[in-house]
Amino acid sequence: MLNIENIKELISDISFISKIYSIEKKDSIIEGKIGIFFDGLDEVLDFSFEIYPQYPLKHHNSESIRFSNKDLVEKNHIMEDGYICIHNSHNLNFKQKLLIDFDSLKQWIEKYYINKKKDSNYEHIVVEESFIDDKYYSYIFTDINYKFSKGDYGEVKLSSLSNTIFKEKAIQNFLVNGFILNKANINCQWNSYYQNINADKRGLFYFSEEHPAKYNKFILKNWKDFDGLISKDFLNFLHKFEEKNLKKSKGTILPLFFGYKTINDKIHWQVALIKLGEFPIIGEAEVLLGIKTGQWNSKLIDSDIQWALTRDTSYKYFFGRGILDQSITEKKILIIGVGAIGSMVAKTLTRSGCKYIDIVDYDIKEPENVCRSEYMFQFGLTDKVTELEQILVSISPFIEITLLKDEFFESITKIIYKNDEGKEFLTSILDDYDIVFDCSTDNDLMSILNNLDLKCDLINLSITNHAQELVCGFYPNIYHFVDTQFGSILKNDLNDLYEPTGCWSPTFKASYNDINTLVQFSIKHINNLYRESKQKNNFILKMSHDNLKLEIKEY
Amino acid sequence: MDLTKQEYLDKVLKTHKMSHIQDLVDKHKEKRNEIKEKIEVKYSGNIYSSMNSGSFAKHTAINVKFDWDLVVPYKKDSFDTLEKMFNDIYDFLYEAYKNEAYVRKQKVSIGLEFYADKDGDIINIDVVPGRELNKDQYNDDSKLNLYVNSQYGLIDEKSYLQTNIKAQIDHINLKNNEREIIRLLKIWKKHNNESYKSFFLELFTIKAFEKETIEGNLWEKLKKVMEYIKDNVTKDGFALNDPGNSSNNLMDILDTYNRDNLSSKMKRMIDNIEDNGNNLESYFPKNKNFEKDENDASNSGYGLKTASISTSIPPNNTRFG
Repeated sequence: MLNIENIKELISDISFISKIYSIEKKDSIIEGKIGIFFDGLDEVLDFSFEIYPQYPLKHHNSESIRFSNKDLVEKNHIMEDGYICIHNSHNLNFKQKLLIDFDSLKQWIEKYYINKKKDSNYEHIVVEESFIDDKYYSYIFTDINYKFSKGDYGEVKLSSLSNTIFKEKAIQNFLVNGFILNKANINCQWNSYYQNINADKRGLFYFSEEHPAKYNKFILKNWKDFDGLISKDFLNFLHKFEEKNLKKSKGTILPLFFGYKTINDKIHWQVALIKLGEFPIIGEAEVLLGIKTGQWNSKLIDSDIQWALTRDTSYKYFFGRGILDQSITEKKILIIGVGAIGSMVAKTLTRSGCKYIDIVDYDIKEPENVCRSEYMFQFGLTDKVTELEQILVSISPFIEITLLKDEFFESITKIIYKNDEGKEFLTSILDDYDIVFDCSTDNDLMSILNNLDLKCDLINLSITNHAQELVCGFYPNIYHFVDTQFGSILKNDLNDLYEPTGCWSPTFKASYNDINTLVQFSIKHINNLYRESKQKNNFILKMSHDNLKLEIKEY
Repeated sequence: MDLTKQEYLDKVLKTHKMSHIQDLVDKHKEKRNEIKEKIEVKYSGNIYSSMNSGSFAKHTAINVKFDWDLVVPYKKDSFDTLEKMFNDIYDFLYEAYKNEAYVRKQKVSIGLEFYADKDGDIINIDVVPGRELNKDQYNDDSKLNLYVNSQYGLIDEKSYLQTNIKAQIDHINLKNNEREIIRLLKIWKKHNNESYKSFFLELFTIKAFEKETIEGNLWEKLKKVMEYIKDNVTKDGFALNDPGNSSNNLMDILDTYNRDNLSSKMKRMIDNIEDNGNNLESYFPKNKNFEKDENDASNSGYGLKTASISTSIPPNNTRFG
């Protein structure tokens, strides 16, 4: 239990706490004020503190003790309301935790107050994201292949992504599709799927270059704060825009994008929400040498800014937390056969940063495929490739996908491989890729492809019944290896197949978990081989006899 | 696998015997003799007697991959340059066979691939032109200079390669144990699409037999040779000198990365086979085309029950995914 006397006793023993001004309990919160002094400080530094009833536990991933000093807001790692940012180690012991937390306050003072340390990692400016008319708006942007100059302004092309719920309120998500500057289109570097979705919404942008922020870290809160940061030209443009559109669109919410440079010339955008008819500007007569010129200029008024949510979703950030090796992600990939294994490979590669994946399969998705593949119930009966494309682009805005002619590998290949011209044609199609995953489980196709003279990497993946083993063959030694493994070496139990009611089409038995465990481990192994430029040896992946570990046996 | 490793490997060798394709062998012999005669007429007085070479001549051929090479030793004065020699015999063979074969310049030879005959058989013969190293001494030293038309190992194109094909053939003469292992390694190379040169595997095997005590059954001998390759391929200073040219070290064709790979490949093969004898089938498959012939042959000799091709629905090599 929190006890004022205990706290007082504990902190009075801390050597760098020179003074305890007050400690009192208000409702369930213990508040206090202390003075801190130690070698390196010129004078006593005062801090207020608050201890919440959750202490010593964290809540909402924040400490339940907070320290503040509003006079220090210019320093690093301190919020606008004066609270310093600390993240301390977990400790369930009240006394120990209190000592840890006060010590972290001391460390903050040493680091950011005395030594004025600047972190190498760029931190975004702090924005209090607000809603308008009880609804949030978000704007998701990515890189562009253009360098704006200070003072550039124009229109923003927006596509509606979704209407959903955010922090228990409605939210509309928009994708920034591109910019229009002096009538020229500047497209955002999304994949073609997102570039081609309807961008029928508009916003305005102004590239200020400088951060629209106080102390370079707290976003400006009042339109008057923008004085000097945006040009007269832009204000007059705003006025004309409002005048032109007011009649038909009064009350419409218009996002106003402010662009600035962060690090390495990267652009970040903050979006203020303004309503047509309520633009934060008024007209002001122009005066030269004390005489009115008859011209009017626009100027900003004293009014609070409603900031929307923005997210930098450039490739680097989107995949910043984890990605496969570049020797895979940057490569042009073909997946032949997108059943259970193929769809898992496609989805994993997409989620892991691959940019170019083509898929081919003649088959359709049935509802019973859903339980052990990446397909979804909601799409009903579809061609597998059609649904998989939808799934992959819904994961990554950077994946380019082409659906190949479905009958090509299933049918045409098996005719044309017999002559040299056909082989050359087939080779040229495959060599248009860097990596080809054959997940078709088609032995005939496996043989045909293995007999071509290929430059691309060809990787063949298939499993035994019950997903006991996954067999991976690398070109040029696929056919014989895989065929021998399945035919003579592995115990592929074909007496226990699943035979669906209504048709004689037995299939293997294995769950999504069974299959994907093997697929994920295989992709991890393949990724290692590529990353370390290792020899790609065929392998068998299986669970150990005691089911406690996965084992790879290389051939 | 019901058979022992020894029995299995024995079957592998038997199903890869050249005698299974005797008709094709005869066709090659016939065509080679025809080419030989034409060359001898054309270059009468400028060449020594042509010599058969390649795996068939060395008795290391397997019926899924074999070379029929015809070495044509030119006299020193026959051409100013090796390049002229190479181009001249190419022109001659092209004119002579352009209507019945693909005639192409290869690394050190002229390849003739005859169009499929009425049985669908294709005859491949390589003609290797060489010029004696020293005037009038070929009959004594058998030394030849070959023209290198395109890069050959570490040797640049448009240069030459000194060799002694007779010495190379003599090197393996009367070495039946070695030949069995060489044929097995060539079966491994062929079926697993390995890129190592046959000549490299041949020299490695012969050296293993020279340096180690290699005895026992076929598997034990094969394992010993593989262990020898595993242990030595990565050793600094280890050399495999071409018996036809002692300055040509076949180890030079492998860089460190590929030496390590070959060593670990040999280790994995040994481990996997020791772990499960069925893995022999993965590395050293039988030639399924002649498996029945061999079974029939053994049946006739020992009266064992004839093996039959069994079918199952679905087939036992059914894959899933």
